[in-house]
Amino acid sequence: MRNLLNFLIKYNYWFLFILLEVTSFTLLFRFNHYQKSSFFTSSNVAAGEIYKLKGSVTSYFFLKDANEDLLDRNMLLEQQITNLRKELQERGVDSLDVDSIKDRAINDLHVIKANVINNSLTKADNYLTLDKGSDAGIHSEMGVIDRNGVVGIVYMTTPKYSVVLSMLNTKSRIGCKILGSGYFGTLRWEGSDSRYAYLNDLPRHAKFSLGDTLVTSGYSDVFPAGVMVGTIDHIGNSKDGLSYQLKIRIATDFGKLSSVRVLPKSNPMERRLLEEMANKQQ
Amino acid sequence: MIITYLRRIEWFVALVLIQVLVLNNVHIAGYATPFIYIYMILKMSSGTSRSELILWAFSIGLLVDIFSDTPGMNAAAATFIAFIRPVFLRLFTQRDSTDEFIPAIKTIGASSFIKYVVVCVLFHHAALLMIESFSLLDLNVLLIKIGASSLLTVLCIMGIEGFKK
Repeated sequence: MRNLLNFLIKYNYWFLFILLEVTSFTLLFRFNHYQKSSFFTSSNVAAGEIYKLKGSVTSYFFLKDANEDLLDRNMLLEQQITNLRKELQERGVDSLDVDSIKDRAINDLHVIKANVINNSLTKADNYLTLDKGSDAGIHSEMGVIDRNGVVGIVYMTTPKYSVVLSMLNTKSRIGCKILGSGYFGTLRWEGSDSRYAYLNDLPRHAKFSLGDTLVTSGYSDVFPAGVMVGTIDHIGNSKDGLSYQLKIRIATDFGKLSSVRVLPKSNPMERRLLEEMANKQQ
Repeated sequence: MIITYLRRIEWFVALVLIQVLVLNNVHIAGYATPFIYIYMILKMSSGTSRSELILWAFSIGLLVDIFSDTPGMNAAAATFIAFIRPVFLRLFTQRDSTDEFIPAIKTIGASSFIKYVVVCVLFHHAALLMIESFSLLDLNVLLIKIGASSLLTVLCIMGIEGFKK
């Protein structure tokens, strides 16, 4: 007995080592399944505050680029508005109707603006941290976009912060279609380069060419249809040779993300009910 | 005694902040990221008990994990390196005396110190990056990542050593 006790005391560090390794791996694996474990991530209060401080300093570095992008975009939108207005006038639509369209657009979209306070590019699974959380109306599985295109999907939230599953994550799947032809597939990121992702499951008879634009398909309620995703950079074959695999140049520059918009969901309950009913009938 | 602990906590906070605010954003050529926080584990006095070493390593790893959204990865690698550190320390120091010393160029000599740092860093990075990718499919990329990151970390550690004199 005494020998056993001596043995245990002498080699107690073995047990400590095994205990802590088991704890680490539990944390690692639980993070993949259990969505409420946000305490051990950068969305907890202390880590969030420190990253907010960092974000408030580093966001100044990209102001010039962001400004230029916004000006370009502004000009484009203004042109579009003038064209549309001209078109409407030619068709003889009452100006009151035009004004009501504007109001409706504002009411429909409760878009939430947020700032990226932490970001990574080169890990196998990348996540972003935003400075707004469930208090601002953000919930998990909402879509996140920035001024250039799709960024990712909200993964978990605390009252003040939220973690976003970046498009640069092996777990990310985004339904996309090719603008114009309408053929669709799933966009996945395969690690390594933060500028490219791959579109799989595109049928052999689909017609497209290099440089075509890829937008979200709108088949899920995370992203509305037609949000910019990227452009086709290279056409290859899938591993089984049955379909195309396209290399896509991502429109969003993940290296200098600063302000993003979180998209609200459109009637998720109604949609889910309908889908459940359809499943039951089968 | 208290002063040693205060200094240790100072290093702890400083290394975590440097790691998460600056070095986690460094990716030279998309491969090399230095993980400087293990400097603290390497520089603990040789008389520190193994349990204490493991506990410190676990907490610094977990803190880095919390900040970089990689729960468990750094904690597991740091705990592992704290567990095998005494073996390497005994391997690379030929002194017979049992008095305590802090691993440094002055105390154990330049060549043994460099060997000790390189081996520890290599083991830590291999463990960490293997846990991160969790497969041996891209073995070449993994090996390049381990090599490049280790080189950068060793350079950083030697830099701190030189700067402290």
